[in-house]
Amino acid sequence: MTVEQADDRPRVLVVDDEAPLRELIVVTLGDGFLCEEVSDGETALARLRESPPDLVFLDVMLPGLGGIDVLKEIRADPALSDIGVVVVSAWQAQADIAVALESGADSFLPKPFLVEELLSIAEELAGRRR
Amino acid sequence: MRRLSLVHRVGLVAGGVAALVGILFVAALFAILSLRHAESRESHSSDVTVATLRVRTLSADLESSLRGYVLSANPRFLALFRDARARVPGDVSHLRSLVHDDPPQRVRAASVAGELHAYLLDYAENVITIAQFSRAAARGPAAGSEGKRRIDEINGTLDGLLAAENQRTHRASAHAQSVTNVAVAVGIGAIVVSSALVLLFGAWVARAVARPVRRVAAAAADVAAGDLTVRLEGGGAAEVAALVTAFNSMTGSLELGRHQLLEQNEQLREGERHKRDLISMVSHELRTPLAAVLGFTALLLERDFPPDEQRRYLEIIDTQARRLAALAGDFLDVQLLAGGDLTLVLTSFDLVELVREQAQLFFLEPSSHHLVLDVPGEPLVIEGDRDRLSQVVGNLLSNAIKYSPQGEEVRVSVRSVGDDAIVAVADDGIGIDREDAAHVFEQFFRAADAAATVGGTGLGLAVARDIVTSHDGTLEVESTPGVGSTFVLSLPLGARRAVVGAEQNAPSRQ
Repeated sequence: MTVEQADDRPRVLVVDDEAPLRELIVVTLGDGFLCEEVSDGETALARLRESPPDLVFLDVMLPGLGGIDVLKEIRADPALSDIGVVVVSAWQAQADIAVALESGADSFLPKPFLVEELLSIAEELAGRRR
Repeated sequence: MRRLSLVHRVGLVAGGVAALVGILFVAALFAILSLRHAESRESHSSDVTVATLRVRTLSADLESSLRGYVLSANPRFLALFRDARARVPGDVSHLRSLVHDDPPQRVRAASVAGELHAYLLDYAENVITIAQFSRAAARGPAAGSEGKRRIDEINGTLDGLLAAENQRTHRASAHAQSVTNVAVAVGIGAIVVSSALVLLFGAWVARAVARPVRRVAAAAADVAAGDLTVRLEGGGAAEVAALVTAFNSMTGSLELGRHQLLEQNEQLREGERHKRDLISMVSHELRTPLAAVLGFTALLLERDFPPDEQRRYLEIIDTQARRLAALAGDFLDVQLLAGGDLTLVLTSFDLVELVREQAQLFFLEPSSHHLVLDVPGEPLVIEGDRDRLSQVVGNLLSNAIKYSPQGEEVRVSVRSVGDDAIVAVADDGIGIDREDAAHVFEQFFRAADAAATVGGTGLGLAVARDIVTSHDGTLEVESTPGVGSTFVLSLPLGARRAVVGAEQNAPSRQ
């Protein structure tokens, strides 16, 4: 995925170790968003600090640094704290959702999710930042 | 040491009391015999005394009748003298026979006899003869004093005899008295000791029976209150020891029973936890492929994509649906293995070919990992369930890919060592620490590092190990955290021993 400097579309970072899931999110968001994919927590943080996006779709279960840890790092960093974060997880007990929201997630998206639901959350959070 | 029973102890004490009572009776008998002896001795002594006094009377009669005759010359006195003299042999021999058993008295009686004899022959007869011729000569002082001297001598000897007899009687009765005293003392002592023994025995029975019974009752109350760890100390009579042993074995088996119940309860709870884990794991593991299937299906239905993209998304749907099927298969396997219902379909096949096949399946070009395959040129034939063993090798390959970074090598080798075929799958992945390595083949076990980062059911290796074990093979792991893991699968070459058994059960197979 090439990053176009002049592009004014909302920029999205998709973090998931499952390639089909990343691809699903990217394809669902479609041409209205400028997407980048990473498959682990450390790379995600490096990318975020290098070039902060508008929105992050963050899987909880990641190799190395877990999704919740990445979220906490984002919220602890003043340069990144206003990024919209959607936690996406197959773990969706009340406790899992509470941990995500308390750690600073803007939204929690359970797997499997509806295509429209993902799109509306993305548009709402992107619109809020504009 | 064998404990004596209460019955034995009571017997022993009763025997002791009986012995003491026996001693009492013997002492009493001895006293009675001694008294009787003293009594007969006394009556004998009085016989002797009577006989002695008769002789003394006789000597007095002789003396007075002789003196009367000499003084009066009256023949009546001479007749009295003759009469007394005729009694002498009888009375003297009576006295001598009475003291025959007693040497000192016998000597005294003999000397009385001798002195009387001498008095009669040497004195009395001479005086009578003299008196018939010369009354005055016979009446003279010399004759009178001689007669008195002889009679005094006889009386002195008789007095000695009497005194000795009295002394003897006195000694015998004193002895009888002292024997009686001893018998009374022994009797009282025996009664006191018997009574003490009976009292002590009563106290002992109370101690030996009542106290342990109280202890057992208290312990039984503890058991009733739920304390099954209560144990009684041994001791006391055999019956009490038997009671204590029975009580302890009762609480022991109660405690064991409760322990087993608690253990079963814990196992049930553990099983319940496993089931909850399984359900939670199933729902989690199903959701990721399900999300892909549902998501791409919805996109394909709602949006228009160019044909190549459509095809790509359908392929993703296909792969993820297969993954769902495989997961369902894993769960089914777990259920089968847990229930012991796994049936092996045995065939002979080439293990090298199987490994090659699985490697091709997991390392489709373009692959995320680099496969290094090291297999022999000739086939290694084993007998087993080909599909199940394919599943095992596939599981090892997918783990190697899942737990090592992209672009790394996965080294797969097959070789024969002795009678075994060895398949080794090595990766340069995150590895497993020593503590976790001991558990990787347990159901639902997921190493902490792996659980946090990589999706998995925690079932694959458990199922694989069970399948390999049912083939008489082994599945082991060597690993260094951060360096990589090597899983080593070992299976017996050629016909399996289990097949021999199968042939016996199925004679139609040659």
